Amino acid sequence: MKKKVIFIAMPLVILVMVLAGCAGGGATGTLEFYANGEDFVRQGFVSKDGWSIQFDHVYITLADITAYQTDPPYAPQSGADISGRSTIGLDKAYTIDLAEGGEDAPPILVGKILDVPVGHYNAISWKMARAESGPAAGYSLVMIGTAQKDGQSIDFVINVEEECEYQCGEYVGDERKGILSDGGTADLEMTFHFDHIFGDADTPADDELNLAAIGFEPFAGGAQGGDVINMAEMHLGHVGEGHCHCGCH
Amino acid sequence: MHKKWRTVAAVIGVLVLSLLLPTEALAHGVNIQYTSDIEITIVAKYDTGTPMAGAQVAVYAPDDPSTPWLTGVCDDEGRFSFTPDASRPGIWDVQVRLAGHGGIVHIPVGEGSATTGGVGGYSYLQIALMAACVIWGSLGTALYFWRRRQA
Repeated sequence: MKKKVIFIAMPLVILVMVLAGCAGGGATGTLEFYANGEDFVRQGFVSKDGWSIQFDHVYITLADITAYQTDPPYAPQSGADISGRSTIGLDKAYTIDLAEGGEDAPPILVGKILDVPVGHYNAISWKMARAESGPAAGYSLVMIGTAQKDGQSIDFVINVEEECEYQCGEYVGDERKGILSDGGTADLEMTFHFDHIFGDADTPADDELNLAAIGFEPFAGGAQGGDVINMAEMHLGHVGEGHCHCGCH
Repeated sequence: MHKKWRTVAAVIGVLVLSLLLPTEALAHGVNIQYTSDIEITIVAKYDTGTPMAGAQVAVYAPDDPSTPWLTGVCDDEGRFSFTPDASRPGIWDVQVRLAGHGGIVHIPVGEGSATTGGVGGYSYLQIALMAACVIWGSLGTALYFWRRRQA
């Protein structure tokens, strides 16, 4: 009887060992998360109403940053929540200065995760949250800089308290991102389009972007950020040139 | 040679000769060939309905998601057409960009299998099949030796 039990139990032990080996032996790599305020923030630009804007600091606080492998790919225009079969996330909140570095500075590394399963991370979500400490404490977005027009110069500080959640599909740009191979490194980017807030003099005045943008004139008149900026309508968060689903409160 | 076999040989000979006859005898024959290539047309517009005229297009094949398989430009109506390689079934990705705005569409081609490139590891079905095979083989081996010892 004892030998019978051994003969029955042995295959089960082997099975468990085989499955455990499979589970622990998956291919992995490193996934990096970047934040990018684009040249608008690094080099400055002229708003739709003619103000030349230069930023000293653009503090944004990012939390719940999560990457997904979705199949079928996530479509942000659906307005649905992302449902991924592989999910990897950063577990802290990060306050980033998007204006950090020179005019040609690269996007800012927010964080990275080692030993994540390989595959195509084709969706990302994050929260623009109020900072609990640091230079932007109490605000989710703080823009500090100088605006000039017709010989007039204004030093501005624009604070935004509103919090937003962004759910985005795949990065759209010169190269594809998020494709992670065994032992390799892939990156994802959270991109912020500040021309959506201030407009862009280089874009036609009747363009949808400029029609929706606030411009700088209200802030030159002393308006506070929370008074005039409706973040849900600004569509600040992107993945490269790809749009995201946004909910703000 | 047996009479029956002579008859069979004669029939085969006639058939072979008929195949060797000049084709000019089929003067009114036709030669129809076909290809099953499917042309895909995308139409890219902004949310406002304005066509993305002149937008840059990059097409990615399922087995190489990093390198464009084809690039091109949308016409004035935001249209772009291409014929995917039917030997590379799976999800073909088409990225469209214009003036800082863009999007990507995912088009199933061929067998409809969602073989997006670069996805590694085993699927749950594969793992289940492997586990079933291991169980079957292990139990069978064990019972075989157990039965021999009983005998």
